Amino acid sequence: MPPKESAVDLSKHVDKSLRILLAGGRQVSGTLKGYDQLLNLVLDEAVEYIRDPEDPLRVTDNTRPLGLIVCRGTAVTLMAPTSGMEEIPNPFIQQEEAVE
Amino acid sequence: MLPLSLLKTAQGHAVLVELKSGETYNGHMVLCDPYMNIHLREVICTSKDGDRFWRMPEAFVRGNIIKYIRVPEEVMDKVKEEAVRKEDKRPPMGGRGRGGRGWTVVCVCEGGRGEGGGRGGVCVCVGRGAPGRGGRGRG
Repeated sequence: MPPKESAVDLSKHVDKSLRILLAGGRQVSGTLKGYDQLLNLVLDEAVEYIRDPEDPLRVTDNTRPLGLIVCRGTAVTLMAPTSGMEEIPNPFIQQEEAVE
Repeated sequence: MLPLSLLKTAQGHAVLVELKSGETYNGHMVLCDPYMNIHLREVICTSKDGDRFWRMPEAFVRGNIIKYIRVPEEVMDKVKEEAVRKEDKRPPMGGRGRGGRGWTVVCVCEGGRGEGGGRGGVCVCVGRGAPGRGGRGRG
């Protein structure tokens, strides 16, 4: 039985672009078309970000189109909206300098 | 004090979540649920090796991939206050009531020092591979 309260509210992300991290390390982004309480997702125009073969932790900018996909909920480990997501320089160093 | 009640009290505070993969997520916890799924706002993600960083406005982390969560010290005081308040309200309990579900969570230790480094705080650890003193092993 899933608990009544849930930390996720995907309703406001419908028809918006989401970045998904899957168990095993694949990263996928696509437009959220649908979801259920088990976190199964329907993503349209999905693309997978190809990982560096030398270093599987590192994703490259190379992509592979996947089209319309269903992501299985149990494999979804992290979700974040694509808009506003950016790589930044080390923010913790700046904080330390500010303290000094 | 139950690990999940500490987490619930930590809602609205800045927390650090480390995933089993080694990536860390710093952000304000908006919500958490009994699965330990966590919704974060204003997140800074740090790669496992600690040399790449991403900013994201929000992120949802699935509970079962969490290694540990660091919460600020002041949450500890809040959770104690709340425990006392609940004690006052709760009628004397018989055999019924809580129980049933066991959590995989093992310990809540003060002064936990995660691999993420930085200030000391309270740490909720999950399963094996948890940091800090006395934080290892399954309950």
